[in-house]
Amino acid sequence: MKIAFRFVLLIAAAALGFWLWTVFFPGPEKVIRGKMATLATTATFGSADSNLNRAAKAANLVGYFSDDAQISLDALGHGVRTLSGRDEIREASYAGFAALPALKVEFLDVTVSLGADQQTADVSCTARVYVGNSKDYGVQEMHFQFKRVEKNWLISRVETVKTLS
Amino acid sequence: MSNATEPPPRPHWLRVVLIGRRPRATLVRIVVLAVTCFITFKFILLPIRIDGISMQPTYHTGQVNCINRLAYLRHEPQRGDIVSVRLAGNSVMFMKRVIGLPGETVAFHEGHAYINGKLLDEPYVKLPCDWEMAPVLCSPTQYYVVGDNRSMPIDLHTKGRAERDHIAGKLFL
Repeated sequence: MKIAFRFVLLIAAAALGFWLWTVFFPGPEKVIRGKMATLATTATFGSADSNLNRAAKAANLVGYFSDDAQISLDALGHGVRTLSGRDEIREASYAGFAALPALKVEFLDVTVSLGADQQTADVSCTARVYVGNSKDYGVQEMHFQFKRVEKNWLISRVETVKTLS
Repeated sequence: MSNATEPPPRPHWLRVVLIGRRPRATLVRIVVLAVTCFITFKFILLPIRIDGISMQPTYHTGQVNCINRLAYLRHEPQRGDIVSVRLAGNSVMFMKRVIGLPGETVAFHEGHAYINGKLLDEPYVKLPCDWEMAPVLCSPTQYYVVGDNRSMPIDLHTKGRAERDHIAGKLFL
């Protein structure tokens, strides 16, 4: 009985150790999933948010992208829009945060595929976006490409995927 | 002194209602029911809540339905089927009607759908439509899907060619 108890205790300690290891030293996939979650939070703002708060969020949003990042969006009814580099992304995000009354962004069904070199990763997801305080929302299949820059994962490419061509 | 032939005391009625006369059998039933529900609603019939106007008047926002994920195990999607097309996963899906099959061309003229140049009879389209669209060809792995509500502007209606592997299943009800 004593041996069995020790054995169970050992397994519990090992499981706890493994969990703590994944918390303090997360793998690239977990880091990227976390990045996607915080990206959605950063891109979300309410109608009560002040201009200062919105500007701070826009500035934070740019920090998720690499210097040479490219964004190509082809959303239904809005045509194709391409942004190249952090400066263009910064301008567009400031304009978007200022013009929209409110925005809520969710990334659903996030799938992360790490590259063979462990320096790049492809992320596919479904973006659900609520504009203003409307209950209506738009959905869009998205593809993100991340690259590792000095121990940090930054977005190098964003593009919309046409589910129905 | 108690009588040996006396029957055991009857359990309280509340206990009988809540856990039955034989708690062990009740527990087994609950476990079997939970496992059956989990397997059914996770892998076979995917519960969905309809949101949007693109399938009006056949389906309306707020209706609850299920996606039969086993519908196309034995045969491929048929014209007229209402299918769910997944995006990156199963959290959000498009619900559309199949009108074009692989290898066919689909066009719209004066609000009517044409398949390989022939007018398609669509009794489910009840709302007025004035769509115009040049013919598009479906590849051997593609199905053309569109909603029943053709009264909205063509540019605002999500429609098009869906890859076979994106069709998650057929609407159950």
